[in-house]
Amino acid sequence: MTEPIYEVRNISKKYGAVTALDDVTMQLYPGEVVGLVGDNGAGKSTLVKCLSGVHQPTSGKILLEGQERHWKSPHEALEHGIETLYQDSGLAPHLSVAANVFLGREETVPGILGKMGFLAQKKMDVEAHQELERVGIAVPQSNRSVSQLSGGQRQAVAIGRAVAWAKKVIILDEPTNHLGARQAGEVLQIIKTARAQGLGVIFISHTLPHVMEVTDRIVVLRLGKVVKDAPTSEFTVETLLGTITGLITD
Amino acid sequence: MSVATSAAPSKLKSFVSNQQFILFLVLLGMIGIFTAFNRIFFSVSVAGNVLADWGPLVLVALAETFVIVSGGIDLSVGSVCTLSGVVGAFAIRALTEGGMAPYLSLFIGALVCIGVGCIAGVINTLLINYAKLVPFIATLVTLGAAAGLALVFTGGGPIAGGPSQAIQLSVPWLGPISTPIIIVIVICFICWAFLHKSRFGRHTYSLGSNPFATRAAGISIAKQTAKIYVLSGALAGAAGMFFYLRLGSGAPSSGLGLELYAIAAVVIGGASLSGGSGRISGTVLGALILTTVTSGLIIVGVDPNWKQVVVAILIAAAVTIQGLRRSEGKAS
Repeated sequence: MTEPIYEVRNISKKYGAVTALDDVTMQLYPGEVVGLVGDNGAGKSTLVKCLSGVHQPTSGKILLEGQERHWKSPHEALEHGIETLYQDSGLAPHLSVAANVFLGREETVPGILGKMGFLAQKKMDVEAHQELERVGIAVPQSNRSVSQLSGGQRQAVAIGRAVAWAKKVIILDEPTNHLGARQAGEVLQIIKTARAQGLGVIFISHTLPHVMEVTDRIVVLRLGKVVKDAPTSEFTVETLLGTITGLITD
Repeated sequence: MSVATSAAPSKLKSFVSNQQFILFLVLLGMIGIFTAFNRIFFSVSVAGNVLADWGPLVLVALAETFVIVSGGIDLSVGSVCTLSGVVGAFAIRALTEGGMAPYLSLFIGALVCIGVGCIAGVINTLLINYAKLVPFIATLVTLGAAAGLALVFTGGGPIAGGPSQAIQLSVPWLGPISTPIIIVIVICFICWAFLHKSRFGRHTYSLGSNPFATRAAGISIAKQTAKIYVLSGALAGAAGMFFYLRLGSGAPSSGLGLELYAIAAVVIGGASLSGGSGRISGTVLGALILTTVTSGLIIVGVDPNWKQVVVAILIAAAVTIQGLRRSEGKAS
């Protein structure tokens, strides 16, 4: 059995008297898509924030490729190859597609001007286009402003950006929200491409048919605890829903 | 996707419909109208006066452009300009009395002005990042403090006693253009390069466009905010030095109300106060339109008290036209 690429062991997160996560353990293997599901308030968002470095767990361990990590910031997790697409963050609409793809990782021109931070814009335009194509997204022109794109195109760019940069793990928080059926299908296809590239994918969604379609394994959170962690083939939409709501318990 | 429309006509179309081009036409139209009323308006000396008004205004408007693009506002630029000019004047007087060479004392005075501006920017940053005040309140605090300090330091009167070379420097020698104006034009180009071509500018836009996405991309919002407000203070300080050179003294009233004209210039230039948009070229033209109007009104003999009303109408017109063009752009 290969080693998990990303793992949390017995992590808890308390906000004052409130326990948002209670002794959660889960593993993610390379080339695997794990669905993270649970009702509102089950602790999905808190777990995502611990995994992406926004919050530090109160207790427990986070391991990347077997090495214990204490993320001090999302930036640190990013630098170690963990990309997170937050539900509410999205893109900067005034900037171009390429500028968004390279946001925070801008490439500069060579020489002294580059040291002063001057951008190699043409190079980034070309590379952004190539990278998005590589992960299966057909974006018209990478120098167009994001505000000119449709909602589905924007989401595709946001996911494409995360997949293109992710070196190890990609965490997608509700990526198919507010999307039409065809666009959601495209997003799921991108997730499959990411899996084929050997990335570990954590897919958080309320849309259970999407979870059933794209994941290999499902972790169900309920009131801050993992109540079920099993291969997707062991679930149907009905039993999954029952597990989430607590009607079905093992 | 059928986005591949032929490039050449769309380029021409986007050039003609672009904000800067419209502003340029407005500016030419104004010059034409004022000249029609009074031929004197179209002269080197009037152009020199317009540029002398434009210099300090565009400096604080450049400062305001960075801040507004980032989704903030800096109300303190006018009084920081005043305070810098006053402190710079004290420094220049002391250096002159100490027997320093005139140009060197002016150069050091300029550094003092910019330094005072940077300190004001640091204070704005501390109030925003650590005291968690919204930029409007943080910079309102600094506005009051800086304006008050300028009065306290001077006792209300101008601080003279510098070398006579100061005013001589402000005399135009290249047509209507003086040495300080040349420096201001260079600063405009530098600001253009940094806002539109550099990583710092890119992050300024992304911060104003979507702070959540900016943070998620690993960019420190606190650091970016600090850079923007310190730069804003530095440019306001440079405006203080410009006033000093023009007047030959540091006056506690020189930058009074300048922040509102700066914001007006930025808004006329096409920026949105909600952040994420705005261009240096728009700000430069916006400031030029404002100073042309205010000078023009005086020359054609309109009561100077109408100035503010005309500026108000200009702002209303600019914002309305922008709103219309924006909704049109979305429809197409």
